[in-house]
Amino acid sequence: MANNHLTGIGSESKQLATWYFTFAAILFGAQLLFGLVAAIQYVMPGFMFEVLDFSVARMLHINALVVWMVFAMFGAVYWLLPDETGIETVGIKIGKLLFWVFAAAIVVVVLVYLFIQVGPADEMSIWFIHEGREYIEAPRWADFGIVVVALGFVANLFLTGMKGKQTGIVTVLMADMIAFAGLYLCGMFFTDNISVDQYWWWWVIHLWVEATWEVYVGALAAYGLITMLGAHRKVVEMWLWIEVTMLFGSGILGMGHHYFWIGTPEYWWEIGALFSALEPLPLVAMFIHVLYDWGKTQGEQDAQGQELSVIRNKPAFTWFVLNAFGNFLGAGIWGFFHTLPQVNLYTHGTQFTSAHGHLAFFGAYATILIGMMYIAIQGTNGIKIMNHTRSSIWSVSLLSGGMMGMTVALTIAGYVQVLVSRAQMGATWAGYFDGQSGMWFAQAMDWRLIMGLVMFAGFALLAKDFLTTGKNPVHQR
Amino acid sequence: MIDPSVIRPEIALDAFLPIFVSSALVLVFGGFYVGIYTAVKVNILKKWAMPFAYLFWILTAYCLYTMGSLMHVGDFTAKALVIAAIGLLLLPHAVYYMQDRVHKENEH
Amino acid sequence: MAKRSVWSDNRFWQRSAAWITGFASVLLIWLTFDTMAQITIGTDEDLKNGVTKRVPSPTVINYKITYEMSTKRGHEVPIIGGNDGQGMSLFQEKEMFFGRDDWSEEEATELLHLGKLGSQVKNCMNCHTLLGNGAYYAPDLTKAWLDPQWGPNGSMQAMTGKNTKEEAMAEFLQNPSKYPTHARMMPNLGITAEEAKGLVAFLKHMSSIDTNGFPRNFGKIEGAVHGK
Ligand code: HEM
Ligand code: HEM
Ligand SMILES: [Fe+2]
Repeated sequence: MANNHLTGIGSESKQLATWYFTFAAILFGAQLLFGLVAAIQYVMPGFMFEVLDFSVARMLHINALVVWMVFAMFGAVYWLLPDETGIETVGIKIGKLLFWVFAAAIVVVVLVYLFIQVGPADEMSIWFIHEGREYIEAPRWADFGIVVVALGFVANLFLTGMKGKQTGIVTVLMADMIAFAGLYLCGMFFTDNISVDQYWWWWVIHLWVEATWEVYVGALAAYGLITMLGAHRKVVEMWLWIEVTMLFGSGILGMGHHYFWIGTPEYWWEIGALFSALEPLPLVAMFIHVLYDWGKTQGEQDAQGQELSVIRNKPAFTWFVLNAFGNFLGAGIWGFFHTLPQVNLYTHGTQFTSAHGHLAFFGAYATILIGMMYIAIQGTNGIKIMNHTRSSIWSVSLLSGGMMGMTVALTIAGYVQVLVSRAQMGATWAGYFDGQSGMWFAQAMDWRLIMGLVMFAGFALLAKDFLTTGKNPVHQR
Repeated sequence: MIDPSVIRPEIALDAFLPIFVSSALVLVFGGFYVGIYTAVKVNILKKWAMPFAYLFWILTAYCLYTMGSLMHVGDFTAKALVIAAIGLLLLPHAVYYMQDRVHKENEH
Repeated sequence: MAKRSVWSDNRFWQRSAAWITGFASVLLIWLTFDTMAQITIGTDEDLKNGVTKRVPSPTVINYKITYEMSTKRGHEVPIIGGNDGQGMSLFQEKEMFFGRDDWSEEEATELLHLGKLGSQVKNCMNCHTLLGNGAYYAPDLTKAWLDPQWGPNGSMQAMTGKNTKEEAMAEFLQNPSKYPTHARMMPNLGITAEEAKGLVAFLKHMSSIDTNGFPRNFGKIEGAVHGK
């Protein structure tokens, strides 16, 4: 096996991947900026009041999050497809066209969010301004656009997978991406019944992040282990199937943990508690998987008396290991914290949720997608062994350290909120503000802002590294 | 109507922190157990670390027990927790055995 | 070479993945049918005949709503039109809503529709939580209608110069930054008088949804069940 996966040169699919990655990285920066605006507003409520209100800043923050991740996910598939199937992606011209359609649509949506913000309470606003449903606020016209783009992407994937070599990784991705795209449809309709509304809303949010996206990450990690470590495909793919079994087996019905309090029947208490309590297990398994393959391949290398490290892309591998750990920590531990109904009754919808949301999205997705971007940089620059640079080390440290600090701050804030606003005061208006004005809470919000700035510094270094590392002589070519 | 014996999301407030912490520690210790076990097996860690893996399993089981009793779980749940603890003990052994086998089958 | 066992056979795991996923999905779909039947919006008939629904008819705005302990269920439940003493609704006691307690099913539905649309278009969920989901910058709205803050002893009626809950809420929603309670204020979202009416109906309706006792101990600052 030649190292053809290390070169993106000459593959149109890989070129398209780099476009997706570039746009994703820019949106990641935008996400952090709007997060900072919202975090400042917690500390200084007058900041940009009635200019760029919290609701708008937050909507941009979480939409940029979802969109950059989707872009990077598409990009990663276009990157690995030629390696896996051994052929150029089928219909790549259409793929490229759809990229521009997608990117242009996102720009229009963002401009409307920023400059129109709210409209009158009618269907027209839902069609052309936004739908006001957390994470999937995109207006309905954009929903249809997204569906078309997603279908084009899935078609590229399927046609390529069927024409070329259909490896286990590609098979998993094909099944997973069709579910991923299909689930979006559940979030596209309007209903007057808020309980029905939220029931289906969670089909998109939960079945994305705790089922389809997790499986996607499993497939990506498998690809990464093969390319970066030269792990055995047979072993890696067997792991992948076991992970799929465990992830879908627990994650699909684990959705019950969102159906405790939205008007849905009591049986979801038991179903949600049982299945979602199992959700950390596959995350533990994914963690062992990485450790195992690393240990095995390094051990074989050592046995052959070679001094070399087995890792062909240090920065990417660092992010992949952080992914295995962060997924377990953010989704597994912080998720399990509040997933039993006894606990969730008090933590539901508090800063605690936010702590989990941040660490899970960062640990499970941001990490591995950044890792993929490094793999692409290695490929496009024809690098054999990619080493760390000073900025790659600093950026990974500041980003993950900042995220950990932010999570701790939010967890403390959440704990205050649970005790004061929820348990004692029963979630009233007055109870809410009593919790918010507590000293511990207020200080936690200061720390969150500080940690946000640390993260932003980390992002700046990451961007610098992305732009410069390709030509850096520290790498082995 | 719902049977009153079904679990009710009701825990004593002063037990909130211990429940919170013990349930988190279940995962932390459980993670250490599995992590150390695997690391020793694939020679990332030296052999002497193995007893620590089992020590962490004991801590996991203890936290699981604490959590269960603080939450006043019913008989059924208690049994499920015991099975979960034993399952965790066996899990990495089974996984490692399986992996080793696949490796042997495919190697060289 | 060791003998091949099922456990190390890729096809075995591939099939397990397919079967388990299929099984979980089928179970989810089946539960969805059951849940949908239970959370479909009720009718005015139901209210008149004393049928308890998890999500009652929009005409619930004609009734008095409270949130009280049900000994049978072990937590608070919404009580519509008076309590039978055991935590079940009587559907008797009415309450004026913008001067009327005879909103027809059609009118009430239209009002709720306007309110729900308004809640999305004005982006309530990106500051507040609704049924506990959303953002954490402002109070939970699940039972906002029942919040003592808006009641006869709360501060909002006096502040807005209105003497009913619904009018006080509607006034606040139209000019939120005129009536701040804290440094953190709600911004002006261009809500019209009609939209405000719809939004208040939406909030009143939401407070009548059976949320399995979330939030716990609502409004019982001192008498919290576990409070010390
Ligand atoms: C990578 C995987 C995951 C991601 C990205 C993620 C992300 C999130 C986010 C963003 C929310 C907040 C949703 C909102 O805005 O209302 C949330 C809620 C929640 N998550 Fe996760 N999560 C993940 C995995 C898990 C796992 C494995 C568990 C359980 C073991 C879990 C348990 C929960 C629970 C119980 C809630 C509801 C919190 C509440 O009631 O307010 N999550 N998750
Ligand atoms: C500069 C760094 C960041 C800052 C200052 C920041 C700040 C914020 C703020 C203020 C909110 C609103 C929370 C609320 O409603 O009270 C929020 C929500 C959120 N942010 Fe961030 N954020 C940052 C980075 C990130 C990153 C890197 C991710 C994920 C990779 C992320 C994911 C989320 C999610 C999922 C939510 C919704 C949480 C929920 O509803 O529970 N944020 N962020
Ligand atoms: Fe979930």
